[in-house]
Amino acid sequence: MERLMRKAEELAERYGILYYEIRISRITASHLTMQNGQLEELGMNTEVGIGARAFNGAWGFSSANDMSRAEEAIETAMKIAKLSKGDSKIYLGDPVKDRAEIRPKKSFLDVDIEDKLALVKEVDSLLQGDGISSRSVYYGDGLKEGLYFNSLGSEIETIVPRLRLSFFVTAKENGEMQSYWKSFGGTAGWELIEGIDLNRWTAFVREKAISLLHAQSPPSGEFDIIMDPELTGVFIHEALGHAAEADSVKNGDSILAGKLGERIAVEGLTVVDDPTLPGKFGSYVYDDEGIKAKRVEIIKNGVLVNYLNDRETSALLGLEPNGHGRAQGYNYQPLVRMSNTYVEPGDWSFEEMVEEVKNGLYMIGDKGGEVDTANGTFTFGAKEGYLIENGELKAQVRDVALSGRILDVLRNIRAIGDDLRIEFPGYCGKGQWVPVDDGGPHLLTRALVGGLR
Amino acid sequence: MIEKLIGILERENVEWEIYWEKGRGGSFRIERERLERSQRKFHSGIGLRVGYKGKLGFSYITGLNHGRETLEEFVKRTVKLAKVSEVPFRGFPTPSKLPRVDGLYDGRIEDIPFEEAHSLAGEFATKMRELKDESLTLSGSMALAVSRYGISNSNGIFFEEKGTGMSVSVYAVKRGNKTGSGSYYQSYRSLQPFGELEKAIKKAIEEAELSYRAVRLEGYSGEIVLEPEAVGALLGILLESLSGESVYHGRSRFVGLSEEVAGGDFTLVDDSTVEGGTGSYSFDGEGTPGQRTVLIEDGVLKSFLLDHTYASLLGMESTGNAVRDFRTVPHIGMSNLLLRPGGDDLEDYEGIVVKKVFGEHTANPVSGDFSLTVELGYVVRNGELKPFRDNMLVGNLFDFLRSIEGVGRKLIRKGSVYSPRILGVAKLL
Repeated sequence: MERLMRKAEELAERYGILYYEIRISRITASHLTMQNGQLEELGMNTEVGIGARAFNGAWGFSSANDMSRAEEAIETAMKIAKLSKGDSKIYLGDPVKDRAEIRPKKSFLDVDIEDKLALVKEVDSLLQGDGISSRSVYYGDGLKEGLYFNSLGSEIETIVPRLRLSFFVTAKENGEMQSYWKSFGGTAGWELIEGIDLNRWTAFVREKAISLLHAQSPPSGEFDIIMDPELTGVFIHEALGHAAEADSVKNGDSILAGKLGERIAVEGLTVVDDPTLPGKFGSYVYDDEGIKAKRVEIIKNGVLVNYLNDRETSALLGLEPNGHGRAQGYNYQPLVRMSNTYVEPGDWSFEEMVEEVKNGLYMIGDKGGEVDTANGTFTFGAKEGYLIENGELKAQVRDVALSGRILDVLRNIRAIGDDLRIEFPGYCGKGQWVPVDDGGPHLLTRALVGGLR
Repeated sequence: MIEKLIGILERENVEWEIYWEKGRGGSFRIERERLERSQRKFHSGIGLRVGYKGKLGFSYITGLNHGRETLEEFVKRTVKLAKVSEVPFRGFPTPSKLPRVDGLYDGRIEDIPFEEAHSLAGEFATKMRELKDESLTLSGSMALAVSRYGISNSNGIFFEEKGTGMSVSVYAVKRGNKTGSGSYYQSYRSLQPFGELEKAIKKAIEEAELSYRAVRLEGYSGEIVLEPEAVGALLGILLESLSGESVYHGRSRFVGLSEEVAGGDFTLVDDSTVEGGTGSYSFDGEGTPGQRTVLIEDGVLKSFLLDHTYASLLGMESTGNAVRDFRTVPHIGMSNLLLRPGGDDLEDYEGIVVKKVFGEHTANPVSGDFSLTVELGYVVRNGELKPFRDNMLVGNLFDFLRSIEGVGRKLIRKGSVYSPRILGVAKLL
């Protein structure tokens, strides 16, 4: 490794490179998928690779998954940077020497593949039941050992374990079909799996899928909406989080550009992105640019106070770097990304919130979303819901997408619940996939509901 | 090295299949009309599947330059996985004659010096600056790639192929007292003349100008024309029900063939043999020949998309739709998807036209219910365009397919999806 560091230094001198950074990672992963009792995939793999980035007013990048090409990758990145001479600036800062390990109680590397298979089988058998026409179970884990070094003299070793269990059922009756699912995950070890009440959660998804067969189609139009913590999570991720990514601000692509210091939401609203939360799926210690991960308040008491940034956008926008440059893997360049994004709790109880609503909906669960950050329009899906009439929960309704305009919806928040939950692990796509978590309390606002009625 | 690996595998008392890949790509990212991120990446690796006593094991290794010891270890590990895995093994395909598929490879992409590709991207950025005005901010990308891949198995299959690709994207934001945005994306097998890059910029700007003027429409229910990109979003939802895997596992809307699923003129084909198609190949990820598969003909369901495993489980024949890279086992996926053009002139349609939607992954592929956000649409009256956006397009996919009253004559390609305009009944909120 020291040889490679010296080599990088030599090459940087030869090509007149101001700044470079090298990431080498080794991932040891296993995954299993089972459908209807039949094991479909069982994989155990280790992969090593290198990604090199050089800066000369613009970035040059190269990667290789064959370590015998490591020097060539470094040289290629530098050659490209030399060719690319641009006029951008980046934050440099002081060198960091550190070793950071997220240490689980019980490493999944010490758990036999037979035990992981037994887990998947157990979940599969618990999912069986009357009316269930299809079931699938996924388990995956991966230990990422990373070495980062740059031309400033930073040397950072990181070890991050991450695992995930999810299961999915489809219920069928008289030609009607409905699905429900649940995921667990974190930067943790096998203890996370041992802590899951499998009986409870498998019964939960079965019952939900079956009950949805008899649920009404949701209405259409603009309504008062109470979101559950899971839906609040996807809402804040889509509606606010993406527009607060500083690369989008830089490219004129964010409706939040130029709004720092402005009140953009109701006074009680505080939104945070925090990669340092222990054990969450989107957590990390250093980002992929060797910057220490920081908790960021995006909105504080209704005022937009910060963007998520990386080395380049923090320099451009004059912001304190906050460690949000993340890459899917060694073979990708870091982009500004979220980690664990959530709404801080308020003081409303759920019952009080329901009493507030004359004619609206209580919507539950995350089916993903998408946002047009330039125009400020977003869509997000809920797994199910209930009608609310005169302050009372009524009939169940099916899954539906909701839509709204960011700034309107943030100003229309009428109540913020007191029940914070951040336990909805998933992956966020922005040309690259990274693990994230999100959540919040129950939230009452208005949105457009895309029902068929 | 592949021969060495095959040699090791032939000594084992197992059935085996190897899939290898070696490629490189250059890509260029333009932000605020400046070329800001350039990269050149290399990848290579081998995926190995082993069948042993009816069970399947899989693992992969990166790189193609390994000594005997590493390869023996790789084989040993995969055989061991087959012994413990419990994944049912349904055999591997046997060799068949491959179709000739032209236009997969363009030597100019493989041979272009990186410096030249870099300067082409630089000119692309310069052209953006030329074509924009003060109110616009443009970003975009250009990418070139070449890849060689091959498959061999214990039934005697040994196929190799090479392919090239190019892709271009532009994103435009217009700001004034309002905001509008537009985008354009296209992919190709061959090196494109500069005019294609210029066209991409112009299309994105044109769309941003329309989007800038767009307002939300009042609610509407009735006939709507979908442009090819919006049709593509709905086809994506439909494909989940056409996958043999969903059918076998009871997750598809469809249980068997011959069901009437769409209006009379609706014919949907998956075809991996399209000349120069970005989804084309002469053999799939298991060595099954590429082919043309009619999925829906005149509204009637004719075939599912199948790989060898699910074809065998369903008692059908593989349609050559095993998609993979060396890191994954084959999965069922589309190649090129073609919606057959009809006889209707929908180009000058007067009424409501939806151009682009987003949020299709929130749709329910099983029930077919969808509610998508309209990114851009327009109302045409007396040849005049009034753009709209932010409405939701809602409906049920299967009801919508049965409501199709017209299929346009003009086929438009977006990546590997070929579609004309279609006329059906849906609702705007």
